[in-house]
Amino acid sequence: LKTHRKLWAVLMALTLALFVAACGEEKSDSGDESASAGGKDCGKVVLNEQAWAGSTANTYIAKNVLEDKLGCEVEITKITEIPAFQAMADGKTDAVLEDWQHVDQYKQYIDKAGTVVQGGPLGVEGHIGWFIPKYLMDEHPEFKTWEGLKGKEDIFKTPESGDQGMFLGGDPSYVQKDKELIKALGLNFKFVTAGAEPAQVARWSQAYKQKQPIIFYWYTPQYLNQEYDLAEVKLPPRTDANKDCKDDAKEGGDPEQYKCEYDVTIINKLFSKKFADSGSPAYDMLKKMKLTNEDQELVAKAIAGDKQDPDEAAADWVKDNADKVDAWLQ
Amino acid sequence: MAVASGRLRAPAFAAPTSRFRGRGAQVAGLLALLIVGYLLWKNEWSWPASLTWEELPRKLDDAQEWLLEQRTEGSNPFFAVLDGFRAFADWLVTALLNALEWLTWVGTFAAGTLIVLRFGGWRAALVVFGAFASFALLGLWEESIQTLALMMAAVSISLLIGVPIGVIAGRNERFYRAITPILDAMQIVPAFAYLMPVVIIFSVGPAAAVICTLIYAIPPAVRITALGIRGVTAESVEASQALGATPWQTLFKVQLPLARRQLLLALNQTIMFALSLVVIAGLIGGKGLGDVVTSGLYSNPALAVLAGLAIVIMAIALDRGTAAIADRTDPTRRQLTDEGRKRARNITLGVIGLIALIVLVARALGADAIYPDEFETASTVYDSNIQPTVLGWINDALEYIQDPSTFIFSITDAVGNFILERMLQPVQNLLMDTPWFVVLGCLTAIAYVLSGLRPAVTAFLMLAIIGIIGVWEPAMDTASQVLVATAIAVVIGIAVGIWAAESPRVEKVLRPILDTLQTLPQLVYIIPFIYLMPVSLVPGVVASVLYAIPVVIRLVTAGIRSVPPAPVEAAQAFGASRRQVLAKVKVPLARDSIMLGVNQGIIMVLSVVVIGGLVGSGALGDQVARGLQRNEFGQGVVASLAILALGIALDRVTQGRRPAREGTSRGPLFGGLARRRRQVVQPGGGAV
Repeated sequence: LKTHRKLWAVLMALTLALFVAACGEEKSDSGDESASAGGKDCGKVVLNEQAWAGSTANTYIAKNVLEDKLGCEVEITKITEIPAFQAMADGKTDAVLEDWQHVDQYKQYIDKAGTVVQGGPLGVEGHIGWFIPKYLMDEHPEFKTWEGLKGKEDIFKTPESGDQGMFLGGDPSYVQKDKELIKALGLNFKFVTAGAEPAQVARWSQAYKQKQPIIFYWYTPQYLNQEYDLAEVKLPPRTDANKDCKDDAKEGGDPEQYKCEYDVTIINKLFSKKFADSGSPAYDMLKKMKLTNEDQELVAKAIAGDKQDPDEAAADWVKDNADKVDAWLQ
Repeated sequence: MAVASGRLRAPAFAAPTSRFRGRGAQVAGLLALLIVGYLLWKNEWSWPASLTWEELPRKLDDAQEWLLEQRTEGSNPFFAVLDGFRAFADWLVTALLNALEWLTWVGTFAAGTLIVLRFGGWRAALVVFGAFASFALLGLWEESIQTLALMMAAVSISLLIGVPIGVIAGRNERFYRAITPILDAMQIVPAFAYLMPVVIIFSVGPAAAVICTLIYAIPPAVRITALGIRGVTAESVEASQALGATPWQTLFKVQLPLARRQLLLALNQTIMFALSLVVIAGLIGGKGLGDVVTSGLYSNPALAVLAGLAIVIMAIALDRGTAAIADRTDPTRRQLTDEGRKRARNITLGVIGLIALIVLVARALGADAIYPDEFETASTVYDSNIQPTVLGWINDALEYIQDPSTFIFSITDAVGNFILERMLQPVQNLLMDTPWFVVLGCLTAIAYVLSGLRPAVTAFLMLAIIGIIGVWEPAMDTASQVLVATAIAVVIGIAVGIWAAESPRVEKVLRPILDTLQTLPQLVYIIPFIYLMPVSLVPGVVASVLYAIPVVIRLVTAGIRSVPPAPVEAAQAFGASRRQVLAKVKVPLARDSIMLGVNQGIIMVLSVVVIGGLVGSGALGDQVARGLQRNEFGQGVVASLAILALGIALDRVTQGRRPAREGTSRGPLFGGLARRRRQVVQPGGGAV
């Protein structure tokens, strides 16, 4: 029995040694990496990529420039939108390049706690609206404005909507007010949600392929706009003259008065306070970084539509747009 | 409430007899009452605002904000403790990942396969080898290893917490009853609801992912451990006490060793439950395969499906591996002589030595710098995997099923519309448009008829809570989808279950399919259906049916199998045909089991509700999803509570009269959750 005890002791020691070795290895590994990154003072930058293709596009463009031009080591996290704020507050993520105006979180994390800072607009502007396929617009030019829909809702009838027309709503996680809008405009639509974006796209793209009529919540920039020919239905304008536009629920909006189009969403870059104060050249570059809707859609389509590798797609764009990139590095 | 009690006419019905037929008529009568209510006052009585606690969501929002402020200030000592835990969990996951990477891919491959080969036999080892090989071939090696490390950390912490609690619960009846509702809530409240508070407290990254997994994986560990401890016969315990053993000695020398099988089952089930949260973990920086699923869902669905398959492969490998080891090393099964024991030990040492040797050689050759699916030379990186090819296949399949001009489409389109128009919409109208007090009264009365007074009272309270927290309408919407999905699952499940019970060959073919259906992350198998039947509501229902069907099939099969041979033989002696034996003897005698199948089916369907919200089911699932993603935290929590309440209510309505059938007297609600999956069919496991 004693020999067995000894054997086990040896085994235990061996396991422990392996484990210690593993831990020791970790330290020397990370040491190697930061040395081989070779940047003067850039070090490691953590970017957060969101689930949609547009975000992949701008994140990988930033990654390419940071790595190739500034010698940074870039890590990408994929944390969903709201938790990403806490990630920045804790310094686990340095930057979010595409934030669609999470006003509540701005108040909590930027104004109150001061752990996240504004990084200015990315240059991409989010535009939300009601869209229909182009073939339908050609057939019914009156659909150019919402008034044209009145009385013709039953063109959009489906099994789900009964005797009303069907309006296909957007991803539940996106900004939307279509239910109220339909009511306020007095249209005979039934609001139907298809769920997350892939499900919604599956729904309308199938109708598109069958050349059926469909009206749905959609937005730009979106890479699918390069693949499908869509047209927008104009909603009542959002001007001072339009007294019926009080659609901010947080500021006491009135659902009866949601009679106006969606506001343009300025897409912001956000940084962790720690990162902004670090004096890293990466911060200066990201702060200056600007993209247009076309830039972003182009790269997003290459990635999500043509299944190109994100790193390659971003590298291609950076090569073709040297002048833009140079401006970020000034 | 006054109105409601006026409608509570349940006691007016004759006291339920033991005859099922009588009860069936009563239920039919109550349903007719529901329809009369619908026809008379359609859309006239929605839940009154005066009975609603409208401030609740806002209060919850405030609570979350308070939490955030406390955390930011950092002066609260409570957070220091939690920070300590976070640091520990982060360290554990990172250390495990580093250890796996230090072993190099060759070493990990060898260690996994050889350890299972030594303790579990060659069949299980082959499965493990195949799993590792497929991670590499699918080009997901790194992600799989990350998930594996996360799993190892989460499962070990779950057991560290769950087993001691389970031991106490096994020895103390009152304690067990006290924690049962908490365990139920931990399992049924969707993870989406508490994701944000967890992130605020534990930040993002491995620690938060581990916490979310713990919440879901600890309950089965507790339940099965308690079951094991209780399963130890009183004689053994008394004998040890008579011999003067202290309580600790009794526990460690008698109760725990005798509960060994159940403890290993607890390990196995904890792993399975933990794996089903991998996808959620991806949302909060858990990395690994979950990450690939969530991000792929939007920009590359084929990749999401592929990563989902990798999760299933990992689940099957871990399941078979742990089950085989549990089986092979059972001391009651192998009576070893001293000689044999020595030999076994030498073999073990040999295996460890071999692994060490392989690791050292692999490291010497530089295998630690690469992954098996990726080779790097000075100038280029080579991919050595078949990922692009497989992605191509999946893409083609997805393209094909959503092409409106194909043959498949003409079937799926019709089926989808049928489910929607003939099944979902009528039930939805009935539950949503009928006056709330009629619905409340009828459901309570059905609970009374089917299950008895106490369940009826609970069901009534739960339904009332749903109304008071202000989500009556979406909850009824969800309930209608749950009922339709359960009905489909039960009809198909009973038919297939009977077939499988009659034919072992069918059961053999079914088993891997059922295993896959239960471990595939729900988010993943919804993907094909949103293409296949993109009519809102339908993909969610189909997914719930698929998720619930394995349990129904297994319970029905087990029920029919356990019908004693005597009545069957008697019937055959009287010249009954096979069909008659089935219809007149076996099915009636297996009725309890079939009812349990219905009940469990409902619970399983409810657990898919949130995922349904992501594919157009709307209602409560939609609210929970929005809670996280649109910062409507309070509303999300309220909807989650409603899902829990609805679960309890539907459970009570359908649980049936089960007089002390569960010898272990655990709470009726979701006692079954612990017996999902395998032990559902374990004969004599005390679970069914």
